[in-house]
Amino acid sequence: MSYVSTVKKSTIPSGGWSDLWKQEDYWAMWLGLTIVLLAIAFWSNGYNFTNWIVINIPNYSDYSTVLSYLSSHKTTLLTLYLFFLLLFSIAVKALTGEVKLFLVGFTFLFLLSVLVSAWGSWDVMKRYNVETPLLALVVGLVISNLLKIPYWLSTALQTQFYIKLGIVLMGASLPFTLIVRAGSTAFAQATIIAIATFLTIYWTGTRVFALDKRFAATLAAGGSICGVSASIAIGGAVKAEKQHVSIAISLVILWSIIMIFILPLAIKALHIPPGPAGAWIGTSEFADAPGMAAAAAINEQAIKTFTLMKVVGRDIFIGIWCFIMAFISVTRWDKKYSGTKPNALDVWIRFPKFVLGFLVASIIITFLAASANVVTSKAIDNYIINPIIELRNWAFIFTFLSIGLTSRLKELASVGWKPFAAFTAGVLVNIPLGYLLSVVIMGNYWITVK
Amino acid sequence: MRQDNEICIQRIRFFFHFFEKGNWLPSEKPPLDDIIKVKKVSSKAVRNLNKFLTSRLERIATMMELLTEAHDDWAITGKKDYILMETETYDFNDSIKILQEQGFDASEFNLKVEYTRKWGIL
Repeated sequence: MSYVSTVKKSTIPSGGWSDLWKQEDYWAMWLGLTIVLLAIAFWSNGYNFTNWIVINIPNYSDYSTVLSYLSSHKTTLLTLYLFFLLLFSIAVKALTGEVKLFLVGFTFLFLLSVLVSAWGSWDVMKRYNVETPLLALVVGLVISNLLKIPYWLSTALQTQFYIKLGIVLMGASLPFTLIVRAGSTAFAQATIIAIATFLTIYWTGTRVFALDKRFAATLAAGGSICGVSASIAIGGAVKAEKQHVSIAISLVILWSIIMIFILPLAIKALHIPPGPAGAWIGTSEFADAPGMAAAAAINEQAIKTFTLMKVVGRDIFIGIWCFIMAFISVTRWDKKYSGTKPNALDVWIRFPKFVLGFLVASIIITFLAASANVVTSKAIDNYIINPIIELRNWAFIFTFLSIGLTSRLKELASVGWKPFAAFTAGVLVNIPLGYLLSVVIMGNYWITVK
Repeated sequence: MRQDNEICIQRIRFFFHFFEKGNWLPSEKPPLDDIIKVKKVSSKAVRNLNKFLTSRLERIATMMELLTEAHDDWAITGKKDYILMETETYDFNDSIKILQEQGFDASEFNLKVEYTRKWGIL
């Protein structure tokens, strides 16, 4: 995780309109909506480009089958590669400027993604339930924990960027009415679990392990609200130490990776249907990208219910949580920073902007579908939504590989036993409570969400 | 956790407001109270504002000098009613310590701390 850039950058002023092209969240939104609008433009002008560039490797038992498939789709693969490279390079140019290094790194990542996708379609993998997302993660983990990842490759391992793009594209396959309807249920359910988990980690951290209150709050936010985003947001709001925020991030990543393997196994062992399974992953996983990996190991319905629970039910409320914690920090804990008061505007500042792209993509497709007849509606499915889902799946494969390739387990585990134990206490509350609410109590509801 | 294993970036932002000093003591009165939305503004009120601003701006300038002497990587932006100093390469505890050692307390500045992932971190 400690890649070294040779470029020394000085601090640039924050805020203003430049956030629109200097923040990863906005770029995920711009690129995601560009893909959605391109798909609509191609379809309405009678071109089948978006269907043509997507590759969906078929299941096979004999390697010659996949080799001949890839060989006959060389041009398509090259076009898909160039399509992603062009879009991502524009964003990277604005975000880091390291386009040349990204070009080399992304080429490697794309080739590895094709290899993993091909390997994941092998019937032996299917037989042993090694789904492509898990395979991508394992391949990434093996490489990063055995070899030193060069800096040029690390420039392309943009886990957050890929998952945010994937989530914006996800919006195109979820009707807006479903987001509104299921979103309120997801919020209620996620809030119960988040509060219980937050209080468990905070109480265990401060009372049992005598951790600093700010540190405990940062850990608790990561374990309950929405993972790394919550840890860094609350860490800033309560003015936690930089090292404490790093520890909280490491614990979130460590437990997220463990959960990618545990949750799908538990779901299969307990024969939980995909809808409730996705909702359970949505409350139990700590970060978007690992959660998506676990949900993608189940099926498309699980991806949908996971997204509704995690993104709509949890992520978008991070600003409100920050405001509350900042208020508690300056009014209840100590007066060291009494000159700094929480500001309601921070609720907007903390809002994950890529979620706007997710909602806009959903609204666009919902309006388009609502104005269509039966024949056109089927064409929208075939020529717009399905190709977007395939492109989204590629973004997810880049995400899962990036998770593995950036996670050095030895470094993640070097956080000290006290914070680990406090965080684990939260996991022990979060998982069973999530199961109880998502599967036992609300299971019948989540089964119907498709 | 090793220092080189830190996986977040800390951005600190000092807001030095010209007309406010954060918390007013019970014996103090904000000088703008006698000017804004007052029907007959007195010359005394303007002189009070002058005194306050002279002292306030001098203290802001001193805080700026202390911070820039301690660290050279600051983005300093002038706004209509405040100066914003921000950096991603200097810890907020060190900054506060320097100011407090020179007699400045938390009511004289507004400090915000923000963390972001290092680019590429999950």
